[in-house]
Amino acid sequence: MQIVENLKVKEKVYQEKLDNGLTVMIIPKKGFQKKFIIWGTHYGSNDSTFIVPGETDVTEVPKGVAHFLEHKMFEQENGTNSLDVLTALGVNANAYTTNDHTAYLYDCTDHFKEALDELMDYVQHPYFTDENVEKEKGIIGQEIMMYEDYPQWKVYLNALEAMYHNHPVKLDITGSIETISQIDKDILYKCYQTFYNPANMAMVICGDFEPESLLEEVKKRLIEVKAGGEIKRIYPEEPDTIVKPKVEQIMEVSQPLYTIGIKDMAATQNTTKNPEELVKRHLAIEILLNLLIGDSSPLYQKLYEEGMILSSPTLEYEFSYTYAHLLLTGQAKDPERLLAELKQEINTIKEQGIQEEDVNRIRKTLYGDYLKEYNDVADIARMFLADYFKGICSFDYLEQIGSITVDYLTQILSEVFSEDHMILSIVKSDCQNASTKSE
Amino acid sequence: MEYKPNEIKEGITLHQIPNDRFKTNLMAIFITTTLTRENVTKNALIPTVLRRGSKQMPTQEEISKTLEEMYGATFDCGVDKRGDNQVLKFYFESINDNFLPNGDENMLKDSLEKFLELVFDPYTDGTNQFKPEYVEQEKDNLKKIIESKIDNKAKYAMDRCIEEMYKDEPFGLYRYGYVEDLESINAENLYQSYQQLLSQSKIDLFVSGRDNPKIKEWVNQNPNIQKLAARKPQFVSISSKPKDAPVPEKVVQESMEVTQGKLMIGLDLAIEDTNLQYPTTIYNSILGGSANSKLFQKVREEASLAYSASSSYVKNKNNIFISCGIDIPNYEKTVEIIKKQLEAMKQGDFTDEEVENAKQGLLSAIKSVNDEQDTELMYYFAQELMNTKHSLKEYSDRISQVTKQDVIDIAHKVTIDTIYFLKD
Repeated sequence: MQIVENLKVKEKVYQEKLDNGLTVMIIPKKGFQKKFIIWGTHYGSNDSTFIVPGETDVTEVPKGVAHFLEHKMFEQENGTNSLDVLTALGVNANAYTTNDHTAYLYDCTDHFKEALDELMDYVQHPYFTDENVEKEKGIIGQEIMMYEDYPQWKVYLNALEAMYHNHPVKLDITGSIETISQIDKDILYKCYQTFYNPANMAMVICGDFEPESLLEEVKKRLIEVKAGGEIKRIYPEEPDTIVKPKVEQIMEVSQPLYTIGIKDMAATQNTTKNPEELVKRHLAIEILLNLLIGDSSPLYQKLYEEGMILSSPTLEYEFSYTYAHLLLTGQAKDPERLLAELKQEINTIKEQGIQEEDVNRIRKTLYGDYLKEYNDVADIARMFLADYFKGICSFDYLEQIGSITVDYLTQILSEVFSEDHMILSIVKSDCQNASTKSE
Repeated sequence: MEYKPNEIKEGITLHQIPNDRFKTNLMAIFITTTLTRENVTKNALIPTVLRRGSKQMPTQEEISKTLEEMYGATFDCGVDKRGDNQVLKFYFESINDNFLPNGDENMLKDSLEKFLELVFDPYTDGTNQFKPEYVEQEKDNLKKIIESKIDNKAKYAMDRCIEEMYKDEPFGLYRYGYVEDLESINAENLYQSYQQLLSQSKIDLFVSGRDNPKIKEWVNQNPNIQKLAARKPQFVSISSKPKDAPVPEKVVQESMEVTQGKLMIGLDLAIEDTNLQYPTTIYNSILGGSANSKLFQKVREEASLAYSASSSYVKNKNNIFISCGIDIPNYEKTVEIIKKQLEAMKQGDFTDEEVENAKQGLLSAIKSVNDEQDTELMYYFAQELMNTKHSLKEYSDRISQVTKQDVIDIAHKVTIDTIYFLKD
């Protein structure tokens, strides 16, 4: 196996691409009782238009199939449910779907191998019937409705809708009650055959293991499947421009929720298939956001003392090779004024320049933040899987922090933080509407 | 490397949890006091004012810059309810010295000193009060936090259910307190409350991370620890005390803007012996503690009535809370199915295998307690408050010994107290 070691965090990853195309990564953690495995496919809610390897026609499926498949994979032909089988072994099993991948996982202290039997069996053996597909629509329908009551989820989704004209990243991962009603077992089988090919999948295992012998355990549980060809994923053309600068929704909340989004389509042009550039851009954006409105920034202090915000916003950069955006999320008395203040602060920094001293401090903070990701076997494995599907080795973040210069930050600041690309999404209740008007 | 509790002074304990597997050191200070209507709001306010400034770091900006320079160390605080106690919680996390890019710092010692300063040496500008500006701003903030109770509907339903079950009792108090109390709080009387809290409460300091033989010495010699006097701490040691008599089943329904109905059922457990916590844990696990549980299987998988259906056991108060998110018209049907499951548990309508599976899940969780710093820390704190002081090994052994009959016996001690439903 290939070994990549990082001396800063003092961890190693053992990696191998098998003949069938499956990538396996093992990160040994000596002394830990907990073992964690995650098996993912590079297939998420964004992938609903594609060309199956070997075919020429474009296949288009309803939104929400990746997530629907995730729910249905647990059901077995012999009538058992793999989630029950795994739970009975005393392991915590779960699964999730994101924009760009779907993952099946468990953690345990004992019975790792028995659980591995079950995991690898169910992920490799789909079993869909008209009846079990229909029943799932009720459960997923409840899940969709549960999210309807989360203002945090609505403010996020609305922000994406305000930024993206066409790209499917703006759609709910679950699909809607209407789109899932069109799903049947044939669609599920077709998507399964296309995306659950080992060449489109990766497995990450973290815990107190001997990597070589563990790899053998994985190999002997694989059924024979030939590595598939490249799946051509088709995304609609997405312009640089935003859809609308502001979106509001009324919900019962105590204080308005906001998400400020900055669309960064330049990232998809400037970093094309270059993971190193993506990591650098990601780090630079994190540093800039911290300088602008992080805990120690003058803007945050001012807004906090005024009672405008209770805590600094959550700062995120979400990206793939076809979309990218920054998100600042939180609660504020008056989100519109918050945005105006932020815009002003951006201009001030653009005019006055970025201070080396501040950058040094934030770099130290990020170093600690990335280091902390290596405390928990589950966090480590999830991070390596998610980064892998973007072509990134997670260690690169720790390695690149030192290389982010003030010059590079200045370049990214002018390239990314432009008012034309900003949107504001607000969720507030009726009465807050009235009170903001009167203020 | 073993867990070591050490009494620093009467009522003040240092708990060392040596552990070299993490990239970080995690420290916690828990200040435990009896939960009262009179003090609940003041106590909730105190940590937020402490966070604003200390003697050496008088502003939030200075605190933030100091923490950032310490490789993004974090200082967090909050309040919690533990049985009939209110707990002021403070956490400080910083990176383990083994992972410093430059080896010339003493991060653990620095962190400990900064942490003790933040909690025990607030900015007063030489007066006998907090900085009035900080107190007024934090009063406004706390008001918003109290009002934000409605934001998370599932949590709101849980809080409301508890309030209905514990009307006019300490446990029914909201942990952040009440808006109407805020007006009479000022920098002076809040500072007095703080001083009183420091002199009378139970104080526990946890240090988890790289072992250092000097930790105890550093703590003992710290001026902020030295100025604290020994005390007979005023708190309620948590013991199982059931309600005097089973109460009649109460149904409460409320309306709010929700798409999905939130159903909560609060159960009372008529158990007195603390040893019965072990079969009760198994009972809860079979009823609603996992994907194999009766609730998940019957309510979600078979009837397709809910996305979530689970139960949780609150040891401190001898309650189990069932929670489901359901389609609003399915209310009657869901309650009926849940009641059937409670009855099935009484009839022993579950297999030895289900008991074994529940044990496996719990034993696995206990084994991995040491793999997460905060979980490990909270385990020892819970033992400290329960006054049981069971080691992880003892805990596992007792779980292993539970029989199916023990679980049936528990089922007969379960009664429904309150059914709470939040609908549109």
